[in-house]
Amino acid sequence: VDNRKLVEYFRTQMSQDPDVASAVAAIRSLLEFLKRDQSETILGLRENLTKAIGRLQEADSSVAVSSGGELFLRFISLTSLENPDLSQCRNVMIERGELFLKKISLSRGKVAKLCHTFIKDGAKILTHSSSRVVLKVLESAAADKKRFTVYVTESQPDSAGKLMADKLRRLNIPVTVVLDAAVGYIMEKVDLVIVGAEGVVESGGIINKIGTYQMAVCSKAHNKPFYVVAESFKFVRLYPLNQQDVPHRFKYKADTLKTAEDLNQEHPIIDYTPPSLITLLFTDLGVLTPSAVSDELIKLYL
Amino acid sequence: MPGADKETDLGERIEAFLAELKRGGRGSGETARSTAALLRRITAQARWSSAGDLMEIIRKEGRRMTAAQPSETTVGNMVRRVLKIIREEYARSRGSSEEADQQESLHKLLTSGGSSEENFRQHFAPLKANVIEAINELLTELEGTTDNIAMQALEHIHSNEVIMTIGRSRTVEAFLKDAARKRKFHVIVAECAPFCQGHEMATSLSEDGIETTVIPDAAIFAVMSRVNKVIIGTQTVLANGGLRAVNGTHTLALAAKHHSTPLIVCAPMFKLSPQVPGQNSLTCVNAHCPVFDYVPPELITLFISNIGGNAPSYIYRLMSELYHPEDHEL
Repeated sequence: VDNRKLVEYFRTQMSQDPDVASAVAAIRSLLEFLKRDQSETILGLRENLTKAIGRLQEADSSVAVSSGGELFLRFISLTSLENPDLSQCRNVMIERGELFLKKISLSRGKVAKLCHTFIKDGAKILTHSSSRVVLKVLESAAADKKRFTVYVTESQPDSAGKLMADKLRRLNIPVTVVLDAAVGYIMEKVDLVIVGAEGVVESGGIINKIGTYQMAVCSKAHNKPFYVVAESFKFVRLYPLNQQDVPHRFKYKADTLKTAEDLNQEHPIIDYTPPSLITLLFTDLGVLTPSAVSDELIKLYL
Repeated sequence: MPGADKETDLGERIEAFLAELKRGGRGSGETARSTAALLRRITAQARWSSAGDLMEIIRKEGRRMTAAQPSETTVGNMVRRVLKIIREEYARSRGSSEEADQQESLHKLLTSGGSSEENFRQHFAPLKANVIEAINELLTELEGTTDNIAMQALEHIHSNEVIMTIGRSRTVEAFLKDAARKRKFHVIVAECAPFCQGHEMATSLSEDGIETTVIPDAAIFAVMSRVNKVIIGTQTVLANGGLRAVNGTHTLALAAKHHSTPLIVCAPMFKLSPQVPGQNSLTCVNAHCPVFDYVPPELITLFISNIGGNAPSYIYRLMSELYHPEDHEL
């Protein structure tokens, strides 16, 4: 099975539905790959899948694709443990895979349902860059007839914050775009900070667009609650101790990794926020404290 | 008809319980015990054929009980414990392993095949007896909580220490009295205005021969530099490891943090509630009860409960063992 076709399928998934999370698109593509795969043994299947995941990561280097891929591999291992015969196993895998996809496409809704009760009438919310989960949360809160205002950072280098502001304006939510440098300035005005996450690491910290760490430090200094909203398939088996510990393959875009001569001269596009700065995480598994995240990961991987 | 008599008798008892709840004034331990006893009676006397029916009945009564006195969270906690007991007994009767089907987790998402919607509709004859027995075990546990906590006192209180506490907590009283049997130490009680329950606490402690001093709330920070440990009780332990405690506790916690004095909370497990601060603001609290404070988990050193000592970051784990996530909202 051609890996190029896989990457094409992944790209079409992402472009057809701009709202879909990249991990979901990755898992969907891998399920397609599984359906067309011709291997005779489970070990062969795993090898092909690992190579396919590698190709996907070369195309899109975000943490979400990596966590989606690892989750799918784990799914294969767990299912193959129960059915050692490959042909039987494959049908079970495909059936469960479809079910799994259906469940995780509902996760964003579950997160929004949990989180919007924390937004009170008259609240001023600060958010960073453009996150589809945060958008869904704010949408639910607005649908609940709550009145609130949103400040969103511009989020260079891609000005994603402006896109977020447009989407919020379409929902009739009053929104102001602020400079990335103005986070400290605006922090005294806001009541709470809500951000999304590209990946949630084992320590309970998060990996998100660059600028999130700054926002977390500021909110801690001003004693404002810092909430993270993320679906459970973003939990990833990393344990960074500081910013330098985050692997290079996540920090820079896939193209930059291939063409750059000296990575030290390139600007990273993500940063790591340690768990001590996070108040609560809202996931489809419930409202978790950062210490509960590692429990979830252990239950899955060990 | 005997059936109708039982039902009216049950209905009367529930109404009497609700009236007592509204009046308030009872300690939380007593409330927890009477709630569990009432739930056992409902299980024994109400008409139900499957676990699902029983859970519906209990949930309905539970909602009425929590609505009668929203600030008394132990009622809701006991209802959730009983719901979890019913789920476990049902799973055991069906023969499936308890742990697997219980919690929502990534693992469950990946391995479940087909719609695993549990609707608890199967009828099992021994289910009633099993549930009642489990509730009896719960009642035994509730009766022993204060003693279990007091038993751990000697590990934490040493001779010639200065302990500070606030207001009046029966758990802390028992804790300190148990340590006083073997060790000599000094207690400073903050009076906790406006009800000044600290005075009663001080009287009770000094009757047992413990050297006690009462101080006004304003003097907490001034005296803190001479204190070795702060030991307090609480009304509720929240899901993130924070506390809903009597007014003045947050001040005490901040002063302790500033002086790096350990803050120990003595709270039995039935005070653990799945609420998170920020969902329902503390303004919806009944005026009859003392006004409450929120103490964030960063200021707390240790929780001493009837099952041992735990850090605040571990509270989420204890919660998942006591309650099922679907019962968080009754």
